[in-house]
Amino acid sequence: MKWYLTADDPGKVCLLQGNEAIVRGAVEAGINFAASYPGSPSSQVLGMLGEIAEERGFYAEWSANEICAIQACFGASLANARSICVVKQNGLFLMADALHCGAQHGVKGGLVIVTSDDPDAHSSTNEFDSRHTAKTANIPMLEPTTIQEAKDMVPYAFELSEKLRQVVIIRLTTRVCHGRSNVALGELPKEIRKISNVGEWDRLTCVNFMHKPMLDKLDKAEEIFETCEYNRIEGPDFSENLVICGGTGRLYAKEAIKRLGAEEKVTLMSLATIWPIPRKYVLDRMKAAKRVLVVEEVDPVIEDAIAALAGREGINIKIMGRGTGDMVRIGELNQDKAEDGIRKLLDMGPRTPDKPVADLPAREMNFCAGCPHRATFYVLKRVLRMEKVYGCSIGDIGCYFMQGQNGGFYSNQMDNCMGSGINVAEGLGQLTKYGLDQKVITVCGDSTFFHSIIPGLISAKFNMSNVILMILDNSATAMTGFQPHPGCDVTAMGKPTQPISIEAIVRAIGIEPVVADPFDIDDAVAKLRGLTKKDGTQVIIMRQPCATLMSKRVKVKKRVYVDQSVCFGDDCGCNRFCSRVWGCPGNSWDFKAGKAVIDTVSCVGCGVCAKLCPSGAIKVEGGEE
Amino acid sequence: MLSTIALDTQVIQKDLCTGCGACQGMCPYWGSVEGRTICYFDCDRTEGRCQSFCPKMPTDLEALRAKFFEGSEIIPEIGPFRALYLTQAADPEIRKNSQHGGTITALTEFALKEGFIDSCVMTKSEGGLNARGELATTAEEIRACSGSSFQIPPTLAVLNKTLKENKYKKVGVVTTPCKGLAVYKMKNKPLPEKDNNADNIGIVFGVFCGWGLDWNGLEDICGKYSDVTKLSHMDIPPSKYHRMDLVADGQEIHVDLDEVEAQVRPACHYCTDMTCEFADISVGGARSADGWDVDKSWNQLIVRSAKGEELVKLAIEKGVLNVKEVPETALEKLKKAAAGKRSKAVAKAAEDK
Repeated sequence: MKWYLTADDPGKVCLLQGNEAIVRGAVEAGINFAASYPGSPSSQVLGMLGEIAEERGFYAEWSANEICAIQACFGASLANARSICVVKQNGLFLMADALHCGAQHGVKGGLVIVTSDDPDAHSSTNEFDSRHTAKTANIPMLEPTTIQEAKDMVPYAFELSEKLRQVVIIRLTTRVCHGRSNVALGELPKEIRKISNVGEWDRLTCVNFMHKPMLDKLDKAEEIFETCEYNRIEGPDFSENLVICGGTGRLYAKEAIKRLGAEEKVTLMSLATIWPIPRKYVLDRMKAAKRVLVVEEVDPVIEDAIAALAGREGINIKIMGRGTGDMVRIGELNQDKAEDGIRKLLDMGPRTPDKPVADLPAREMNFCAGCPHRATFYVLKRVLRMEKVYGCSIGDIGCYFMQGQNGGFYSNQMDNCMGSGINVAEGLGQLTKYGLDQKVITVCGDSTFFHSIIPGLISAKFNMSNVILMILDNSATAMTGFQPHPGCDVTAMGKPTQPISIEAIVRAIGIEPVVADPFDIDDAVAKLRGLTKKDGTQVIIMRQPCATLMSKRVKVKKRVYVDQSVCFGDDCGCNRFCSRVWGCPGNSWDFKAGKAVIDTVSCVGCGVCAKLCPSGAIKVEGGEE
Repeated sequence: MLSTIALDTQVIQKDLCTGCGACQGMCPYWGSVEGRTICYFDCDRTEGRCQSFCPKMPTDLEALRAKFFEGSEIIPEIGPFRALYLTQAADPEIRKNSQHGGTITALTEFALKEGFIDSCVMTKSEGGLNARGELATTAEEIRACSGSSFQIPPTLAVLNKTLKENKYKKVGVVTTPCKGLAVYKMKNKPLPEKDNNADNIGIVFGVFCGWGLDWNGLEDICGKYSDVTKLSHMDIPPSKYHRMDLVADGQEIHVDLDEVEAQVRPACHYCTDMTCEFADISVGGARSADGWDVDKSWNQLIVRSAKGEELVKLAIEKGVLNVKEVPETALEKLKKAAAGKRSKAVAKAAEDK
């Protein structure tokens, strides 16, 4: 338990991670309710909220998906509760309908959404920019530039939400979520908000006559933002060269300006109020400037907004940024990229790029040692190739997204978003009646199954699509750090609960699921191949707990080793099958001996490679099952 | 070119693969499903045994004949030749379960007993279906492999595995023509450093072959006309009958040959070898003036090599094989039939060109 999350010690300075700062901010705001579905980089927030929920008297849950989470928060808001909903960019887009409707009906108790974007897609399939949602849904949005601000903005956002009776979004990026810095703690509320019963005439309904009040709320927000303390000017108050930053852009730009010794030449404006833009605040500086550079993470959201503003006001100013191509258009910013932009702003000529420290080989992502997904995709790839016409394989989102890379034997042909696999495959499966001469196999994880697969499976079964769904049940939301999901027996607050059976759901849909252990390769191949001979919607559950989870649970792991007197080395026809094709990080090559070897540090002792070695050179000894 | 890609693009995708299994059993990359050769994972070797052994990859046939059939006459239509016999197993028990005269069963069993071979890689099936390669090391195991299949299982995968294990030093092998050529390519050691113990290959028993059938296609035909669980035998009588015979539950069922020929493996249309020219001895169905009812319990046997000659002579001497007089016209008839298959294949290849 992290004491600083709940410590009643105002002014105390602690080293906080961004996600911890959000938790602390929520505690200081006296939240009553928290709901989330895990998504990097903000997955940890709800886990921590769950741990302290009981102590602080609020409720926290892992919802089945982000729509469930936000709508649960709207429910709490109707009872005047303060609720926080934590998602990543994809989650925010998933809840788009709920959010647009919610913005139209507004809130009663404060409702703050924390969304975390992932520029450079460190732990995502994309670097989508959440900020567009604020604009389309007409919801005020804030973005902190530091971890201190990340904490401070949470209570601020709740105040604002209740003042406006509107949802407020705080946008974070990976560097804020995962960075650490000193944060001065604020005061804890003496007691948290009392829950009110829903009055007979209380209303939060999305009807079109709320359109105008919604826009009025946005106008009110802009008025408040004109004097918001989180918007700030650094450097000369007015100058010809204006840099406008959003979020972490501020720190990159600040460092780049310092490097260039241009502190006196550049007015640095940081906007924390991303939407609506405080037009007067921005215009005052723009009118004094000749050129403006916008430094913001991912899309040219602020840039486009100020360009529209300049156009409307008839200001003759050169606008530069990621939209104009004066700064790199994709990827995460850093000091160098900010410097490139500022050099252009100041006509300073290009930067001399640093020499790379070392030429590192490009590496693909891979599954952990002993990961059951590797075995599952080994089975899948074999079965796909066994088909007379190579089967069609559709992926989904989770660790198993790496299906498309070496660890998954390059077996993924399409990947869209969470829950997409079964729907994409359903469509293809229908075409098998119209000339598509292939088996269609799709995968999903257990957490994804509960998140968004069930309607697709129902649709496939009802419409009689020829498709096989492989559910990769590793008993965890492994990719984001083992958060419990509805198939688990414990809630976010640590309460025991009845796990929901995937088999029972599949059976209720009218499909008899086949269960296989991916580590029993031959049996799993036979079972999956058996399903390829059948028509209709089929389900196979590949069940084997996440290796990382298991290695924490098992006290004595099996000893796996290569008997190098049996291994033929490069004389074997296998061509280093264990380390080159199977590709588990536990399988390595002993260059001195010219033979295979097990990396005992990585190996978790699953022993699957022993079954694959054509010479039987890999041995397994002892350990717990 | 990578070996797996070479085989895929030059053999499998070109419909030339017969599914013999010569590329299999040495590595985890190649396998077989229902007669189809499958590359499960891509290998980055360019000098693979898989492509060196493949009978459909370029081969210097002249050099192979010169190396392995010294002293044998080379007859253009039927290959290396020393003698032609009409034979049958002397043991009626063998004949009962065998194709035609049971010569292969009797001869392999005899070769094992006399130490010509210490094991034998053969094809086993259930009445001609679910064919698979087997390593037989006893007379009982050899007899269990009696009878023919028109499915082509990857029997040579079993040979490769057996050679790799290096436990048996005189491994006999019963082959169709495509497999026979592959075995001689193995014996020729194209990759001397990685010869997979090819010196352990013993006597090669060739089987005449017109064509093989699509795995599932044959299953469908059998399923259509018989209870496949009771299938005990299948055969193609001489061409004038234009039929395939299935025996299920003791009943003989006739299937029109047109229906069967529609299921011929595409690769077999390009095959120029009827009599399994690369073998120590080759055995096929007898064709004589006595008619099918007599011929179906006899075999024609071509002796091709000195080692084959020694074995056959001893088998006759010891009364393991019955022989009868070979009609004067027999060799000419055989040459004509073999030339017929060859010219069809050449025409097919020319047509594709």
